[in-house]
Amino acid sequence: MNRFSFLKFSSIIFFCLCTLVHGQEIKKTTEALLRNQFGKSTSLKEQKYTIPATAKKKAESAAKQKFNNSFIYIYTASVNGAVKGYGFLDNVQGKAMPITFLVIFDTKGNILSSAIVKYREQYGGEVADKNWNKQFKGKNSSSDFTVGKSIDAISGATISVNSVTRGIKKLAVLFREIF
Amino acid sequence: MNRATFLVITVFVLSSPAFAQDDFFTPTTTVSGYGELHYTNSTSDSKKATKQLDFHRFVLFFGHSFSEEWSFKSEFELEHNLVTGKDGEIELEQAYLSYTPYPYLGFRAGVVLAPVGIINEIHEPPTFFGVERPEYHNAIIPTTWFGNGVSIFGSHKGFEYQLNAMEGLNSDKFSTSSAIRSGRYKGFKPDASNLLYTLRLDYNFNSHLKAGVSASYNKAKGDTSQTEFNLLEAHARYQQAGLYAAFEAAQISYNAGAMESSLGYYAEIGYDFGKHFKTDWQFIPFFRYSYYNTAAKVRNANLDPDKFGYNLIQFGINIKPLTNIVIKADYLSKKRVSDSDETRTFSLGVGYMF
Repeated sequence: MNRFSFLKFSSIIFFCLCTLVHGQEIKKTTEALLRNQFGKSTSLKEQKYTIPATAKKKAESAAKQKFNNSFIYIYTASVNGAVKGYGFLDNVQGKAMPITFLVIFDTKGNILSSAIVKYREQYGGEVADKNWNKQFKGKNSSSDFTVGKSIDAISGATISVNSVTRGIKKLAVLFREIF
Repeated sequence: MNRATFLVITVFVLSSPAFAQDDFFTPTTTVSGYGELHYTNSTSDSKKATKQLDFHRFVLFFGHSFSEEWSFKSEFELEHNLVTGKDGEIELEQAYLSYTPYPYLGFRAGVVLAPVGIINEIHEPPTFFGVERPEYHNAIIPTTWFGNGVSIFGSHKGFEYQLNAMEGLNSDKFSTSSAIRSGRYKGFKPDASNLLYTLRLDYNFNSHLKAGVSASYNKAKGDTSQTEFNLLEAHARYQQAGLYAAFEAAQISYNAGAMESSLGYYAEIGYDFGKHFKTDWQFIPFFRYSYYNTAAKVRNANLDPDKFGYNLIQFGINIKPLTNIVIKADYLSKKRVSDSDETRTFSLGVGYMF
């Protein structure tokens, strides 16, 4: 390799590595959350899942919220070959920016935990609060998700609270429809 | 294929995994807004009774996210339906570009809001009790306080901060009856020689309790006067299991002019009874006590501070069929400290946000 092509080669590698590092922030956080839930030795299988039309319609009408995309990411978490649960990674719309969130289910569709993976706006970031997210633990597709009743509202975070709550309900219904 | 090409291809393939960050972000333009219709019926010991039906505010937000880091937000407002001569107002209350490379560090420039108190930044009708915004947020905090400037902001582990530098105020317009309120340029060709600086800190104790303080300083200047002032303010909000409570207090100190200080505070509590019934609607009766004095301490011995002090007692109900829609009713008794002159106001309102 001559001097010129070596430079070209290294800059391409550098560029690719940068993309790799930057693009993996959401993935890294998601995997850490799943391993935190199921244990360090959990093996994770990631799938970009296209939502079937009927399931999509049912989930959307139950939650009164549309899906942001035609797909979600589904992580299957296994320990020693046995499936322990699933992580659904999706977006909902905040006031102006999308909110990326994760819902972790057991194999029956009960919520084990939920978390905000990436919040992009200045206001309303309180939805990332761990205690607020604990309210969803144990809920499933037939639970009540009404903000102000089963789910506490948060002052100054009205839009994100409603958006994320509906998003979580939507994924709980989707789970019922596809598993 | 030579070795170098092979390596380049390998690295490229490795760096383009199935998982794409772009799947979670696409540039979007958003339109949202809020509005409020008010009916007020006011009687007073000393003034003529008034009844008014007012579509107080019609507001549109336009926003655009260019990338995960760069976004734009604006708030365009028409007050009292119509603008003719000196009546009614069209305001550009917000219009700024944000660059947020990290959750703990972001920047903003444009028409920004002064980060002071509970209501100034978040003032959509379903978010506060009572048809009108609390009077304290008119007399002491000149809500909506906006102007041209820049901000640095961020949050980390429950802490939130914001440092703001924006246009200052016109001290010629300060007055004993409205404190600093009339000194706002509202972005209209403001004097940029003395900026208003505000530092705000908030802490989220948990998802129920949030409390914070802010400190503002400005060497306000007019054609005929110059007054340095600072505004110190503390606020807290609590919300859990249907219970809503809030508290805020502020003091403005001036180094020149008729007033030495202005001050005010209020405390409010509400409870959602809808929780106990089989309905999605929220029924939240509330009670608020407030005191403010726009000229609490004066330099001129001929001025009686008690003439500018008021005790306010207010109660009413916010009914919310949906989170973003509110129907309001309230009664307000406002008594002047000096002579107990009382104004009684009954108000009805509807408001929305989306």
